[in-house]
Amino acid sequence: MNFRPLTNEDIEVFSETISTFFKLMTRRPAEVRTAYVLDGPVPIIWNDFNGIIDASSGFRGTISFSAPRGLLIEVLRAMGESQHSTENFLDVVGEIANQMSGRARKHFGESLDIAPPRAFERTNLPLQASATGPAYAIPLTWGMFEANLVVHLDVLARP
Amino acid sequence: MKQKLLIVDDSSVIRNHISRLMIDPRLSNLTIVGVASDGEKALVAAKAFRPDVITMDLTMPNMDGEACIEQISQFLPDARILVISALSDKATAIRALTKGAHGFLQKPFSDESLVESLVEILS
Repeated sequence: MNFRPLTNEDIEVFSETISTFFKLMTRRPAEVRTAYVLDGPVPIIWNDFNGIIDASSGFRGTISFSAPRGLLIEVLRAMGESQHSTENFLDVVGEIANQMSGRARKHFGESLDIAPPRAFERTNLPLQASATGPAYAIPLTWGMFEANLVVHLDVLARP
Repeated sequence: MKQKLLIVDDSSVIRNHISRLMIDPRLSNLTIVGVASDGEKALVAAKAFRPDVITMDLTMPNMDGEACIEQISQFLPDARILVISALSDKATAIRALTKGAHGFLQKPFSDESLVESLVEILS
């Protein structure tokens, strides 16, 4: 099967979606900056907590959300959650990655088959990348914190 | 009599977020009878509590929301099911509605849009 790398239009969908998450779920907009290509054999930006969605079917790769503990405390607080536990940090990074992937189906269609999220602390990260095309980091600032949405996907090329 | 609500989502943060929004006076007729983190647990809870209203995620481990909606609709045909999912493509929404859901709310959602969706599904 022939896969193609992501286009600018594809990346824009994820930038808009992460912006929508902060606007709707926390009522505080994030400053989402220009996406850039990551270098390196394992092209993911690790942070304290990382939510990962595996894509399959007409796609190959992952969609990840990586954030520091401080940002996640504030997100949970904004959502009214008073339990700032590791369990909830893992839950919320997984849920954000899930929401980014799910919303992307409006753009890519239902051939973007996504699995339930996996979530990891920085020390327990999986190291294998399944996509071969470039990975894109979409950096954002929310309050005083930095986080990244990382999209590392190959898309099945249509004839 | 209050209507019984079952909340189904694999994210505990989202389950708790939905629960907290029940303080809205427009939802004063709803009372939470249970929560479930996947489709299998939702089936057990639906049989035990016989909810009038269910909020249902779609992407979940063990049994996904679509399969769960299909089964619940068979033994609780009058239950009103609001899908709350990030899966936002039209085909998924139509399939969920065909299987027995009554409404569809996209994640991420605002507090207001969730309350409005529940009010709508109750009316």
